Amino acid sequence: MSTFALAGGSFVREHLRARLTLAMLVLIPVFFVVIFASVLGQFAKALGGTMAGEATSAISAGWAAAFLCGALAFFQVSSSRGADRRLAAAGLGALHVALARIAAAIVLGIVVSAVAFLTLLVRSGIAHPAHAAAAILAFALVYVGVGALIGSLVAGPLEGSLLVVLVFAVDVFSGPSMTSSGGVLSYGPSRDAATLLIAAGTGHGSPGGDWLAVAASVLVALTVALGAFWLAARSRA
Amino acid sequence: MRKRFGRGVWPWRRHVEVLKGADLEVRAGELVGLVGENGSGKSTLMQIVVGLLARDGGEVDRPARLGYCPQSPMLWEKLTVDEHFALFARAYRLDEPTAEHASEGLLGELQFARYRGYRVEDLSGGTRQKLNLALALMHEPELLLLDEPYAGFDWETYVRFWEMSARRRDSGMGILIVSHLLAERDRLDRVYTLSDGRTSVT
Repeated sequence: MSTFALAGGSFVREHLRARLTLAMLVLIPVFFVVIFASVLGQFAKALGGTMAGEATSAISAGWAAAFLCGALAFFQVSSSRGADRRLAAAGLGALHVALARIAAAIVLGIVVSAVAFLTLLVRSGIAHPAHAAAAILAFALVYVGVGALIGSLVAGPLEGSLLVVLVFAVDVFSGPSMTSSGGVLSYGPSRDAATLLIAAGTGHGSPGGDWLAVAASVLVALTVALGAFWLAARSRA
Repeated sequence: MRKRFGRGVWPWRRHVEVLKGADLEVRAGELVGLVGENGSGKSTLMQIVVGLLARDGGEVDRPARLGYCPQSPMLWEKLTVDEHFALFARAYRLDEPTAEHASEGLLGELQFARYRGYRVEDLSGGTRQKLNLALALMHEPELLLLDEPYAGFDWETYVRFWEMSARRRDSGMGILIVSHLLAERDRLDRVYTLSDGRTSVT
């Protein structure tokens, strides 16, 4: 087994062995898609947005994946910083540790997205399942970047997780079709993924430009995450 | 060695000078102690020597094969003892038979072989410390740095720890033991005291 596979596999197991994490993997998508989606239209209406119907169910699955992946990526950095740094200093190197961490985060993102997608499929079905699956995965990977970045900047688990929730909440309630106003807040990290997922949820395809924008935002997020994992694992000497 | 830490944010930021010219040497085949009060900068000095922390001044000359046992075990809570050995064997670039031989030997020497399938979160404080120590030793380093290595050890393990250290010293390993409480001074070749940011041989 290669060093990359050994370390990446260990980091994935580290998270999937937590019973509470496994429970959240199921409960959060169910909560978002079944309960949160039903009141989301009212929120959007109150904020001057146009989100309604199937689009709310679809986007709720994306947000469930985003929330879980943001939290997992944050804790990947914050709870393992010391051990990762020791492993890197022992000879594995900060870059190898960071690459293994990003691989683990992507695997976890795929698992989380699959659960969120299946919940959506069972709950309400979806007109463009392939588009929706890709958009949900994009939500997850964008939040890998958000969670890892916050983890590298904020050491405390309470402060860091609150910050993840704050970014998430601002992003959710300023997303496309959620408000009538534009401004800085309408450029949240998941904006491009949300545009794609709303289109898939309402039975429309998306133009190539939208796909390119999503690909770019995922690439930026994963680059940020790689940098954050490297920062957390590197020696200060 | 010099090191200072910043505290607070500008304009109230203040600097605390922890090391003001600390100096120590550990040669091959020596067992050396470093003592000092809580907060005297022992762990800071150790982290600078290991390369985990940047220094503000001074020089560090360390061998390529270094072993480091940190004060608080830096381990992954959800991974097992064997999984830790596997990861560190890879970091130390040990081939499989060498890694297996090393981990078997240390599990036997420190008497925690029955826990090899246990996750760290299920281990007692003393057994975590045994794993912490074993990970620093598995590649037979030229220089071994131990920061409060026997915290949590029972009496038998404590005695075994000193026997292990003596055996390795006799085989040519340089060992530095950092502690706020060093009762076994007669076992050491030299003891440094760190006080007010400076070391002195006592």
